[in-house]
Amino acid sequence: MEQILVNGLYLGAQYALIALGLTLIFSLMNVLNFAHGQMYVLGGFVTYTIVSQLGLPFIVGLIGSAVTLAVVGAMIEKFLFRPVIRRSHREESTMLLAAGIAFFLDAVILLLFGEKQRGVPKIINGVFNWDFRIIMPYDRILIGVLAIAMIAAFILFMQYSRAGRAMRALAQDRVAAQLMGVDVDRYSMIGFALGAMLAGLVGGLLVTITGVNLGMGGPTSIKAFMMIMIGGAGVISGAIAGGFILGMMESIGLTVLAAYGDITYLVIFASLMVFLAIRPQGLMGKPWG
Amino acid sequence: MTAMLSFENVELYYDHVYALKGVSIEMQEGETVALIGANGAGKSSILRAITGLRKIHSGEIRYMGERLDGTPAAEIVRRGIAMVPEGRRVFPYMSVKDNLLMGAFTRTDKADIARTLDSVLTRFPRLKERFGQSAGTLSGGEQQMMVIGRALMARPRLLLLDEPSLGIAPKLVQDIARSIVAISRDEKVTVLLVEQNSRMALSISNRAYAMSTGSVVLSGNSRDLITDDRIKAAYLGGDV
Repeated sequence: MEQILVNGLYLGAQYALIALGLTLIFSLMNVLNFAHGQMYVLGGFVTYTIVSQLGLPFIVGLIGSAVTLAVVGAMIEKFLFRPVIRRSHREESTMLLAAGIAFFLDAVILLLFGEKQRGVPKIINGVFNWDFRIIMPYDRILIGVLAIAMIAAFILFMQYSRAGRAMRALAQDRVAAQLMGVDVDRYSMIGFALGAMLAGLVGGLLVTITGVNLGMGGPTSIKAFMMIMIGGAGVISGAIAGGFILGMMESIGLTVLAAYGDITYLVIFASLMVFLAIRPQGLMGKPWG
Repeated sequence: MTAMLSFENVELYYDHVYALKGVSIEMQEGETVALIGANGAGKSSILRAITGLRKIHSGEIRYMGERLDGTPAAEIVRRGIAMVPEGRRVFPYMSVKDNLLMGAFTRTDKADIARTLDSVLTRFPRLKERFGQSAGTLSGGEQQMMVIGRALMARPRLLLLDEPSLGIAPKLVQDIARSIVAISRDEKVTVLLVEQNSRMALSISNRAYAMSTGSVVLSGNSRDLITDDRIKAAYLGGDV
């Protein structure tokens, strides 16, 4: 039982970070970023390259992933989403663009890093063992703690910094934010960069545990969308709740349902459909918390 | 003396429907000027043109001796123009505190911002009581006070108010009117007030422009206009 909870917490922290990036981009720009999973994969490969190929410390790899994805996110916003949003008022346009970017990033990743599964050497050895009730490798504990610290840092940033306040204001009332002197273009770019950076950071964190491969992008995007649907799109608390709920469900599923075959996600999808039929706006459904 | 703000032959249209047809107005520093007129007369379009939310198509807007039209919205705030938008537009899920701090977004001196925050809270003590509450939970009147306070946080030289009495309980309209008078007196701020409640607007302004379908049809001292028969018939709607 304790093992399931700890696994769920570990997984949930990663998921929540992914969902936070996705929900930030959605709330600021009303863009459904279908390329979010690919950004996560790209982040994993950047850390892999820096740590495994160049032999630099893990922390350098993680920073490298964050910086690379922030730059990629900023460029994608400035040169792709911004002109499209300016010219088209139809939401399908940005959805198509996001889907196109997902395919594009897949192709770029294939060209640059190949199709093989990649990983990095264990960053810490050893396994934590509490009387065989909780068994957890130290590297997983470290990654889980790092993810939770990043979630906390993100919340503090959004809540108390000037830029965070500006982004919340922008998400709640675009016109009023403009009247306060918030440069909409600039903060949309910062928000997109920050969202992409979070995806890249999770990629960098998880490459140390599960490795990374090209095929992970699509499924990760789908999971991220599930999380924000559970929690309520565009809400920070919702993304966090959705992340931890999905992580916990997966952890329970893999333990309890394993006996019946690989049906965890079947059950999760079925319950999600029932849940959304009852509460379509998600748990915390409102524009921004 | 050159005007603080002037419109010269400004034209603005939305999707080929005229909102402003060659409007020329002028304001001196320290004045309170009212724009009155029915819904759709173009009053709010004037404010949107000043704040850069709408691009004008011809004519010229000048502010403090410089060209204002074409300036980005954020820069306009930095130059000392703050607006209280129609329908209040609070940030509903942000605290009163964060809403007010957003008003000072273009300012950087923290100690200075804290001083302004203090003076806003002294002016509107209700906001102090509600300081940590989400703005969306405030009453309409409290929200209106908050967005006036939010605009003051920018420490503007020119304050634009778009329909501050709209959707406010009649009893509170008086309070809001008194606040506007007090603000223009204490903060030495120039006020441009757009109102459908013409009686209220004329009673607290020095001068007024009456608008109809995108043009200025009458202008003069508010004291004279309030007794003008044409104004009475068209805007004051008999004895209110």
